[in-house]
Amino acid sequence: MDLNTFLMVFAVSACIYMACNIGANDVANAMGTSVGSGSLTFKQAIYVAAIAEFAGAYFVGGHVSDTIRKGMLDPIIFSDAPIHLVYGMIAALVAAALWLNIASYLGWPVSTTHSIVGAVVGFGVTAGGLDAITWSKVWAVVISWIVSPLMGGVVAFLLFRFLTNQVFRRRNPLLYAKKILPYMIFLVCVILANAMFYKGLKNLYLDLSFAKAMFYSIIFGVIGFLVSKPLAKKIPDVPKKEIHNQLEATENIFKYLQITTAFYIAFAHGSNDVANAVGPLAAVFSILESGTVAMKVAMPSWILALGGGFIVFGLLIWGRRVMETIGNKITEITPSRGFCATFAGATVVLVCSKMGLPVSTTHTLVGSVIGVGLARGLPTLNLGIIKEIIISWVATVPFTGLLAAILFKIMLFTLS
Amino acid sequence: MRTILSMFAKSPFKPLVSHIDQVNECVNKIKPLFDAYSSKDYKKVEEIAKDISKVEYKADKIKTDIRQHLPQSIFLPVDKRDFMGLLSAQDDIADAVEDLAVLMRIKNIEIPEKLSDPLMDLVIHVVDLANDACSMIRELEDLLEASFGGAEAEKIETMAANLGTAEYEADKKQFLLAQKLFSLNDLGAAELFLLNEVIKKLGGVADQSEKIGKTLHLFLSR
Repeated sequence: MDLNTFLMVFAVSACIYMACNIGANDVANAMGTSVGSGSLTFKQAIYVAAIAEFAGAYFVGGHVSDTIRKGMLDPIIFSDAPIHLVYGMIAALVAAALWLNIASYLGWPVSTTHSIVGAVVGFGVTAGGLDAITWSKVWAVVISWIVSPLMGGVVAFLLFRFLTNQVFRRRNPLLYAKKILPYMIFLVCVILANAMFYKGLKNLYLDLSFAKAMFYSIIFGVIGFLVSKPLAKKIPDVPKKEIHNQLEATENIFKYLQITTAFYIAFAHGSNDVANAVGPLAAVFSILESGTVAMKVAMPSWILALGGGFIVFGLLIWGRRVMETIGNKITEITPSRGFCATFAGATVVLVCSKMGLPVSTTHTLVGSVIGVGLARGLPTLNLGIIKEIIISWVATVPFTGLLAAILFKIMLFTLS
Repeated sequence: MRTILSMFAKSPFKPLVSHIDQVNECVNKIKPLFDAYSSKDYKKVEEIAKDISKVEYKADKIKTDIRQHLPQSIFLPVDKRDFMGLLSAQDDIADAVEDLAVLMRIKNIEIPEKLSDPLMDLVIHVVDLANDACSMIRELEDLLEASFGGAEAEKIETMAANLGTAEYEADKKQFLLAQKLFSLNDLGAAELFLLNEVIKKLGGVADQSEKIGKTLHLFLSR
């Protein structure tokens, strides 16, 4: 086997390892609230996640890869020895995947996005010094890490407050929940469809302008609205005086919404996080193919399919167990609260990934859960755990950075 | 593996309900206690009093448990002091009932004929009132679900207001009973003192029960 074939096999394996870890680590976080509130059984959650993750990864996943591959790293420094970039990307993949594996084992919900960014910066600095890194891009990424939980929190807080006033604090919450259901479905459909149509679906040659994408999205939303409206009407009424039953029936409506948003978050996650696995592989592939460091590399569909496929594989093999534990645990989250957290998280992730910012799905969700809690939506919020989570977040970048640097050096010495 | 779901600590509102269940059990023993006392079945009084102590102890344990599992780092949708206040109010009811049982074990005295009916009237009134207070705690979960608003909040407000009225009536009954007690001339000092204490403690149960309504009102106003 010549070196190039070996490197390609190595890179593909590393990408698969990374994708599996992403599937195992993140999907439980994305789907956890739906399973915890009982809207989905863990098996249903697995199916929804598998379909949505793959769809998100394959159809929309192309964008964020650009930022990770080229934005933060100046490829010029590798033009003399393109093979070094290959080593680096492989080292980055392995380092990030290892960290994810360790974190899963220790029980830290860390970000896959942070892991890969840290790793890329780590080998970049080792290979080309501090100048090799486009720090302004890195800072933009760092800011998006802080901004994404904040945005998740704010959106979730406002959404929950809105639902509180529009539904739960009414004398007849069920009636208002039934009224609001089609509008919420409309919103989910529009944002989801827009994410697919606008600059997405490149693989299907459906790269539309924003205005056109919006137009089709609204049509899609209206269809969702028209389908859900008669369904909402069919839900039987509960007498106003039976407050407890009213609230219970209201939560049942939110179950439908939460199932929709479970798809939504898995889709958003797939579209956003697949890049963490396939971005480096695409770079490796293009260098090995052409022998030069290209400024612009197209993302081959097969790589996206590979990433999406193994995210699903990872969640089926490892994520499954985690989901099962969640399903058996009693969690203090109801469908309406879960809906708010998930909806807010997914929206922020989709908007950010459309803007090319590699935000963390996990961080955004942590932020949106806190947002719902601060809006008095949850019986408790364990702030101690949150502190622990934040510490593991901070540890991510230095760890993967260092590990990637070491792996890069090792490859440099042994392979050339 | 841990997920973001570990951010949800165990809800302290559920143990609050288990606590009130114990308190309610204490409250429900008041009537049998007085029945046994007035029918001079002092053995039974002893028995019930011991039962009350046992249940009160159980409630105490739940209370300690809640306090220990409510660390600083937990965020509640209500003010933590109000929450603790509610727990104390609940526990004070059980304590008052236990005190009552202790008082009635001090000396076996005969309840004067003239006092018997108004005393039982006060007992039933206080027991009903305390029961209403306990059922308010069972509404907490719905109140949380309704985000401290809507029809559920109105229900709580009404219950709190009714509790206030009932407590006012208990005060009146207590006053009239005390008047009757002190107008009896053939009563020994020990009997007079003990019966007066018992009446005062009954009023205490009513006072503590009313506090539950007041604390829940605080939940709503913040």
